[in-house]
Amino acid sequence: MSHQWTVEGLETQLDRFHLGPVDLRLAPGNAIAVLGMSGAGKTTLLRTLAGFLKLKRGRILRDGVDISRWLPEERDLGYVPQGLGLMPHRTVLRNVRFPLEIRGRADTNRRTQELLDQFRLGELADRYPSRLSGGEQQRVAIARALAADPGLIVWDEPWQGLDVLARYELGLVLHELRETQRIPMVIVTHDPSLAFSIADSFLVLSAGRVREQCDALALLRSPVDAFVARFLGFENVFERPALESGPPGSFRTWLLEHSGPEGVAFPSPTLLSGPGTLPAWEGKVRSARPSPHGLVIEAVADNLVVTLRLPPPVSPPLPALGTGLRFGLDPSTVHPLGTRFGWEGGC
Amino acid sequence: MSPEPVDSPPTAPHRRWRTGPLWLALQLTLSGTLLLLFVVPIVALFTYAPAKDILSAARNVVVQETIWLTFLASGVAVLAAIVFGIPLGYLLARRAFPGKAVVESLVALPVVVPHLLVGLGLFFLVIPGTPVYRFTQEIGFPVYDTIWGVVLVMAFVSVPYTVLASELSFRAVDGRVLEAARSLGAGNAEVFLNVSFPIALRGIVAGLLLTWARAVSEIGGLLVIASFVYPAGPYSGPVTSTVSVYIYQLFQGGNLTDAAAVSSLFLLIAFALFLGVRLGERSGWVPWRGGQLEP
Repeated sequence: MSHQWTVEGLETQLDRFHLGPVDLRLAPGNAIAVLGMSGAGKTTLLRTLAGFLKLKRGRILRDGVDISRWLPEERDLGYVPQGLGLMPHRTVLRNVRFPLEIRGRADTNRRTQELLDQFRLGELADRYPSRLSGGEQQRVAIARALAADPGLIVWDEPWQGLDVLARYELGLVLHELRETQRIPMVIVTHDPSLAFSIADSFLVLSAGRVREQCDALALLRSPVDAFVARFLGFENVFERPALESGPPGSFRTWLLEHSGPEGVAFPSPTLLSGPGTLPAWEGKVRSARPSPHGLVIEAVADNLVVTLRLPPPVSPPLPALGTGLRFGLDPSTVHPLGTRFGWEGGC
Repeated sequence: MSPEPVDSPPTAPHRRWRTGPLWLALQLTLSGTLLLLFVVPIVALFTYAPAKDILSAARNVVVQETIWLTFLASGVAVLAAIVFGIPLGYLLARRAFPGKAVVESLVALPVVVPHLLVGLGLFFLVIPGTPVYRFTQEIGFPVYDTIWGVVLVMAFVSVPYTVLASELSFRAVDGRVLEAARSLGAGNAEVFLNVSFPIALRGIVAGLLLTWARAVSEIGGLLVIASFVYPAGPYSGPVTSTVSVYIYQLFQGGNLTDAAAVSSLFLLIAFALFLGVRLGERSGWVPWRGGQLEP
């Protein structure tokens, strides 16, 4: 069952924390990734969608029907809380069966078996959750969430605590659910690569307010704040206070000129070997480390640590510490941070 | 680079006592002292009452009646704890409501007040001549000097242990598990029956055991309101007392040997019961040894 979901002006109050207004639109097969620092309101948003927190304002519509006042058990959501919420006293089998048992479904046994097979849980059926690995627990959680044929999957940090392989596998599972079953999803995550592999739009929360809401391309085009810039993998993110409190110099002054109210972000500068047309500065190597993405050099210029990345392959010798280097910055790659709030002027 | 020769394994001597035999000795000494405190009076009791006296006490019909009454009344008190105590514990663990602090203090009150006081309070309520006395007579639950009086006193002093234990156990259940269950389609009652209760069961059972233990050991309140128990309700035997009151009466009458023998007999029974439960938990046949309790 896939539905059209619309969230209009959702606002929630949890003690002193205020969330919203949030607007969302989800068609079958859509996935939204919710980003933000701890305490930004991501979990609050998910719990409000799932019906555990009352709406102060706004409404939640499913296929045009207002379900804002429906009880959590009436909403047909596949809500997976942080930590997965597996029942510790029930085996894998009985966890997956639970939603079917509660509904008294005639096909409980058959459907349970299908799900166990689909998620390769057959051999683990009699184990308790505490005896499973993180990836196995994740598979139980998703199998259980799907048992009730949810109209929307709401998942709080699916990739938390998983190793690289399990992350990759879970990414495939979610991808497949989206493609074949067209179940819309709202996912909170801190993992950029997986977020980009699943989500077609992004919602960035900051202190309970929507900081940014846009599609993947637009998000990549211009980070709205330091959090998003770091999330997107910008090598260099300088917040305004750090820029303003240091010895003056031409590099620092140039960055301040290109900063927004909250600072500035830019990818790796170009390492220059001779004169060029780019604005350029001198720096001293502070560290040089090989990485899967190439050679990562940290250089100090005007007391600011700039990170340069030279594409692989990395070949010895690595630059010695303290040696001077010259780097150039293309102004078109430098993004001011905090120039807008909300998505009016953004993407 | 070759490793330097090592004379002795590297240790941090100043930290060794924290993990070494000294630490173990400290634990054993402290625990041992406490256990000694438990054991010595019991040994004294058994020395005073030889095995043949205990055996004859066990064969004595009067003693059997007191033990039967004690078990019957404490059983009903435990039943009351299940029916009324567990729901209150759940309420306190899961809901916020005005006056909650007052309710919590009320629950703790019976644990704190001297139980003679409890007996006195009930005494003024149910002695012949009061409206409550007439009412309880009419509905067939006479309280004064009956098993119902015993149950009432026992429940008063012992049910709080179940309330407190259930509250703690319910509170320890991860709220996210409950939210997940609701989102999967379970209503509040279904979540209670299928999730909260089974997970909290072990702690609740511990509370029920404490309730039972507290009930059978009660004497203060009983001396006031039911020192003699006349047949009524589930108890249809001859006039008797609870074991605790009976032992007290023997002691007051100067029958020290008999008092020691009955005490020893009851101690053995109680010890066997607790041991049975513990062994049951260890062997894993009890229903409250759920998955989360696996090592």
